[in-house]
Amino acid sequence: MNQAPPLARPAAPAAFRRRSGPSRLRASQRRAGVLFALPIVILELVLLGLPVAQAFYYSLTNWDGLTATWVGVGNYQRLFGDPTFWQIVGNNLLLLASIPVAILIPLLVAYLLNERVTGWRFFRSAYFLPTAISWVVIGMVAIRVFANQGILNSVLAPFGLHVDMLSHEFTAMLAVIITFIWSVFGTNTIIFVTGMATLDRDIYDAARVDGAGAVATFWRITIPMLMRFIQFAFILTLITAFTALFSLIFVMTGGGPGYATTTLEFYVYQQGFTVGVFGYAAAIGIVLFAVVFAISIAQIRIFRSRLD
Amino acid sequence: MDRLRRRMGRAVTFAILSIVGLVMLFPFGVMALLAFRSFDQYIAGSGFSLESWQILFATIPVIQQLINSTVVTAGAVAIIVVVSTTGGYAFAKLGFRGSSVVLLGVLAGMMVPLQSIIIPEFVNVSQAGLINQFLGAIVVYAALGAPFATYLMTTYFRGVPNELIEASLMDGASFWQIFIRVMLPMGVPAIVTVAVLQVIQIWDDLLVGLLFLQTPNVRTITVGLATLQTSRMVNVPALMAGSLVSALPAIVVYLIFQRHLVRGLTMGIGR
Repeated sequence: MNQAPPLARPAAPAAFRRRSGPSRLRASQRRAGVLFALPIVILELVLLGLPVAQAFYYSLTNWDGLTATWVGVGNYQRLFGDPTFWQIVGNNLLLLASIPVAILIPLLVAYLLNERVTGWRFFRSAYFLPTAISWVVIGMVAIRVFANQGILNSVLAPFGLHVDMLSHEFTAMLAVIITFIWSVFGTNTIIFVTGMATLDRDIYDAARVDGAGAVATFWRITIPMLMRFIQFAFILTLITAFTALFSLIFVMTGGGPGYATTTLEFYVYQQGFTVGVFGYAAAIGIVLFAVVFAISIAQIRIFRSRLD
Repeated sequence: MDRLRRRMGRAVTFAILSIVGLVMLFPFGVMALLAFRSFDQYIAGSGFSLESWQILFATIPVIQQLINSTVVTAGAVAIIVVVSTTGGYAFAKLGFRGSSVVLLGVLAGMMVPLQSIIIPEFVNVSQAGLINQFLGAIVVYAALGAPFATYLMTTYFRGVPNELIEASLMDGASFWQIFIRVMLPMGVPAIVTVAVLQVIQIWDDLLVGLLFLQTPNVRTITVGLATLQTSRMVNVPALMAGSLVSALPAIVVYLIFQRHLVRGLTMGIGR
């Protein structure tokens, strides 16, 4: 799922409480509270809580789906000793390294959109459109762009250039990264446009009166004032990169060539459903969970400290 | 002079935004264009044909898979709306001992990557005999989407004035009647946001459909399309026709409910 944990926890408990009145009513209110909360609690316990616990347990066994023998931390030892695993971690780091680009381009474009030139609403809608499109379709079209006989090469042909991006290790990952940046562009732009709408336009006028140019205003005013939104976009983009690219990779490269475009989340699928070592795959899933959990906690702490 | 410079600046801005717009829309243009060519016309680079559509319909059960997508999406979104509104009401207005801890537990569900739990989930669902049954995929989608939906509904319901509930209680309404007559009508904007976000997310998903709905006749259209690609289908126009047909419903939903999608995103930022 493509969702970052929200920045703000829901506001302080503001539950409806009767200060006076018969305690019978208060009791019945609490009973109603339990009854109304029951559906979501049962759903999440059975289909989310239980598999989380199972994933932890089975990551310590050599589970094949039917029988499981305890192997302790054996799966983790094997994983951390596996060069392929470190290559895959490297791919995740490449995705991480691309995020500043995935933030900066939307920031610049949002800054331009904020000037409200003719047609800016249309542009905003056009940029946000990929949000509605599945990664499968995006992957399909991306293949047409990067293929050996693809659109990119027909654009480069007049210059005498030719790249077969999807057949080589580094360029295949680059193609995935470019497609990823393109896909999250709209979401990040919308976040920054929303953020800029909260800024006081007087600041810009004051800066202009002081003779600050567009570049200076962008670096000295827009970026610092938007820090909250930049951090939100960063976390959302990071979580998308680590947990939502399965379909794109599945369609676009199948994780290859070799393991060149396999990320942690794709490796879980591959080991689990292609190789069939469920216990080992569960251990990879737990590593991914730990990474995402750490990111989320860091995010909550950053925002908490800013609010205090 | 100054006015001229500002005008020039705006023209440059417009030009840059147009180029970016082109980059964002170009792939969809290519998709739509190539979907209406035969394979030979695709190689030749011009022409119009419906051959690709014949091939597509002959290769996968397109209509059936569109219906499957609709059933699965509608079922999961219905469950998500029910559990997130009742849950939101309980957490925001009713409360019970330990309710804030329970809420935190539900919200923590947003931090769980699907890939981390997909294997036990798959084994559980198959032991329940629900592989290749719509119900299996529906409940999994519902469980994945419900935490964020509950977050949005709880936040939204906290804004409903307590006086409204108090007045209804005075009139002798039960907590159930208050839910139906006060909370649900007040919550409509948030419910629409939740539903639109989830419709697009579930319609576009691959992994759950791929694993839980495995035979062609129960697959969703997104899965059908992905398997078309990986089955080494080389007819590019047919692949583009499939992409177009699977993307169109989500695009229509997007165009109608754009505002709600943006609100769903910005509600995540908090206030």
